[in-house]
Amino acid sequence: MKTRVLLFFYFFLSQFMAFGQTLLTGRVLDEQGKGLPGVNVYIKGSYDGTTSGTEGDFSFQTTQEGTQILVFRMMGFKSQEQSITCNGGEIKLEDFELVELITEMNGVTISAGAMEASDEKKSVILRPLDIVTTPSAMGDIVGALQTLPGTSTVGNDGRLFVRGGDASEVGIYIDGMRVGNAYGTTAGNVPTRTRFNPNLFKGTFFSTGGYSAEYGQALSSALALNTKDLSVRKQGDLSLMSVGGGYSQTWASEKQSLTLTGNYFDLSPYQQIIPQDFDFERAPFGWDLELAAQKKLKNGGLWKVLARTESGGMKLWDVQPGSENRGALIDLKNYYSYAQTNWSKAGKKGWTWFAGAAISSNLDEVDFDTLQTERENKLAHLKASAIKDFSDRISMKVGVEHFIHRYAEGLPQINQERDFLDNQSFFYTEWDWYLSRKLVLRGGLRAGKSSLSSEDWLDPRFSLAYKLSPKGQLSLAAGKFSQLPIERYRVQAQNLDNTESNHLILNYLWQGEGITFRAEAFYKSYQGLIRFDGTVQNPENLRNEGQGFARGLDFFFRNQKSIKNTDYWITYSFVDSKRSFEQYSSQVQPGFAPRHNFSVVVKHFIVPLKSQLGASFSLNDGYAYTDPNFPGEMNRKTSGFQNLSLSWSYLPKPNLIIHAGVTNVLGRENVFGYDFTTEPNSQGVYESRAIGQPAPRFLFLGIFLTLSKDKNANQLNNL
Amino acid sequence: MKKYLFIIVFLAVNVSLVAQANPAFQSAMKSQIQAMNQISDTQASAEVANAFLRIAEANSDEWLPLYYAALTKIEGAFRFDVNKDLEFDSAIELIQQASEISPNNSELTALHGYALMGKLSLDPVSRGQSMSPQVMQLFGLAINQDRENPRAVTLMAQMELGMAEFFGSGPQKACGMARIALDLYKSESAKIDENYIHPTWGVETAEELSKRCL
Repeated sequence: MKTRVLLFFYFFLSQFMAFGQTLLTGRVLDEQGKGLPGVNVYIKGSYDGTTSGTEGDFSFQTTQEGTQILVFRMMGFKSQEQSITCNGGEIKLEDFELVELITEMNGVTISAGAMEASDEKKSVILRPLDIVTTPSAMGDIVGALQTLPGTSTVGNDGRLFVRGGDASEVGIYIDGMRVGNAYGTTAGNVPTRTRFNPNLFKGTFFSTGGYSAEYGQALSSALALNTKDLSVRKQGDLSLMSVGGGYSQTWASEKQSLTLTGNYFDLSPYQQIIPQDFDFERAPFGWDLELAAQKKLKNGGLWKVLARTESGGMKLWDVQPGSENRGALIDLKNYYSYAQTNWSKAGKKGWTWFAGAAISSNLDEVDFDTLQTERENKLAHLKASAIKDFSDRISMKVGVEHFIHRYAEGLPQINQERDFLDNQSFFYTEWDWYLSRKLVLRGGLRAGKSSLSSEDWLDPRFSLAYKLSPKGQLSLAAGKFSQLPIERYRVQAQNLDNTESNHLILNYLWQGEGITFRAEAFYKSYQGLIRFDGTVQNPENLRNEGQGFARGLDFFFRNQKSIKNTDYWITYSFVDSKRSFEQYSSQVQPGFAPRHNFSVVVKHFIVPLKSQLGASFSLNDGYAYTDPNFPGEMNRKTSGFQNLSLSWSYLPKPNLIIHAGVTNVLGRENVFGYDFTTEPNSQGVYESRAIGQPAPRFLFLGIFLTLSKDKNANQLNNL
Repeated sequence: MKKYLFIIVFLAVNVSLVAQANPAFQSAMKSQIQAMNQISDTQASAEVANAFLRIAEANSDEWLPLYYAALTKIEGAFRFDVNKDLEFDSAIELIQQASEISPNNSELTALHGYALMGKLSLDPVSRGQSMSPQVMQLFGLAINQDRENPRAVTLMAQMELGMAEFFGSGPQKACGMARIALDLYKSESAKIDENYIHPTWGVETAEELSKRCL
């Protein structure tokens, strides 16, 4: 009996739903009160529903009865539910408003100071590929960034100089972890390069000021490089170049991948064919080994490891001004290792977690004739951070960092050494608040503490962005930035405090399909710059008393669509910078801050030739220097720098690239400054020697072959 | 005791029948698949995708409605003037949801590759480097998951043809794969009856591809 009752109810209930019919009509509107088409409107748990029409209107019949939940769902909008009672007949619903979610795609982003290279995101200035295919860069990340606004090329240094700041004012990060000694060690005005291959990275974030509270100990600029995620396939990459060669092997499965790379380079054969202006005793040479591994963890996290060790050197005669001799022999040897690991995970309830540890160790052994010197720099960085999205409108970032920094330099022949050990701790937090899709405010605070300088400090930062039109936006950023002086100074005067800078930046960005225009004006003040008596080689009485400023504006225009298969960008940066620093007694224009900087990069793909041709041209108005034959400091300026570089990449087969490039095609004799004798000669004249380029041109030829089951893979990133 | 067992067995059988041949599900799917084949504008595309999503929500253990919703979005992104990146991304999200219901499903893997191929096509110069290996890997995986899946082979052939065109090599490899796909479509068509709601699309593409070498 019981069974029958149960069965009766079972059948009865399953049939019950087929009775009444209710007609639902209404309208869905967006926040502006306009009809919203394409919204999925339906009774929860049933097939009954419809899609709103062009005016946001909808109407459908349902057989559901009683209290039901009406769902409004549309991609990019907050889903909403409403309780209704269906009891046959027609129900006319009130207008229903859907609120658009603020996403990375539709919301305004803060673009003051920022330039991003990414394949995925919007508001990018460059693609990762652009970095490696910029002719003047020769595959160096920093070389490509030197064609962007706010930077200046200092050809005898090679590092990144941003808006009147020196090269130490740029902080370089990989996956959020600081990289110590990111550039190769060099000497005698031979330009350096970044140690890390652009191939490692999927995205680059380059800021020329006003950046996030996540980054500190950098007065001018933050360069954040993000490594690639999992590789998808097993492959080998072979490269043969006019300056060396290398091999890279990747193993991949669905959950993890590992890449091992080894490279060797030696410029000797090249220098035997192409004569050099510098007097090399031993051409630059070096090797490196690198491991990169990625693993997807069971709980949804991603774990990465990057480790690298390398060694290299060169010998070079350093000619002295006013002398006919070969000069002093500089013998440089460098040993460098970097290792980092990081873990990240997107957790529940809007939390994202990150933890990382990095260590870098650099040893330079430099002999000047018979005098041996040693420099050792070690930096360890620990970091943990979390992001919480409270809603699509408010998000918070918070993090703690600790650095252990040891530096030592000495003269091993006489057993003399000096060193320092500094423990630095940081806390930062940053809040983004979207008042609407068009307006975002960001407030950040970074607190720091150094054991060596017994100092603690607080850097507040603030920025906002407002969307003026669908394609144009305005951003403003301001903030305080602190940085401890360079190791060479701190080791001599351990009580030196932070140098400080305040930034104010106004940015306009216009991005249409294939076209980007960016204009930015800035003002930076400097306080507590290091001044000393004596010379740069032998500073004495170091103190935080220098002051200065940098102001200017820069423009960037990029067009990828108007000319078929052609992409070009034009940059102009104006910097007016003066500072009292180092041995200068007054505020002077630094030698690394040319006032007018201009560059053009053009790339053109010729389909029938399977080739990409590239050209880049850079120009500035010259570098300030002090000529002791005239009164005053920084009283002269070199003639302007010019460099026209060309490149040709040929893809005869999907897995083969042949790349040829030449810098300074026109052979312009660029001069970056002058060395003067310390004493005047018999005629009372300080004799000079121009600081020029190692050679008028640099030629590069490389063959890149990818070996894998999938023959279409190639090493495009190695160009 | 026996009675309860009977009820439990009865309910279980009934539930499994619902899953296999829920007539309401079947007929809703069939009518939307028909509507899908007649999409002519954005609005119609949104209507069909939404209808599949409604079916998916009411049948949370079925992967097919999510599959078709994603397919509708992908096709819509290829054909109409919409925010293509967004549509492809949301299709991939739906495919991932469906993969949780039906893991290691060759049709879902192939569709994922198709959506990614769509994203690649929006900016081949800069996305090709990172995405084309992913797309190839997904198509390869789809073929391995089900060697009888003609869509996986057709899509792979299409990708091969794109690569061959970019690098100026011949279309022979793509054509060969398309011909294999055509054979697979032939054996698939034997299974199709009026109640068949599994994917059947792609034969026209395979035919076109195979003609490239004539």
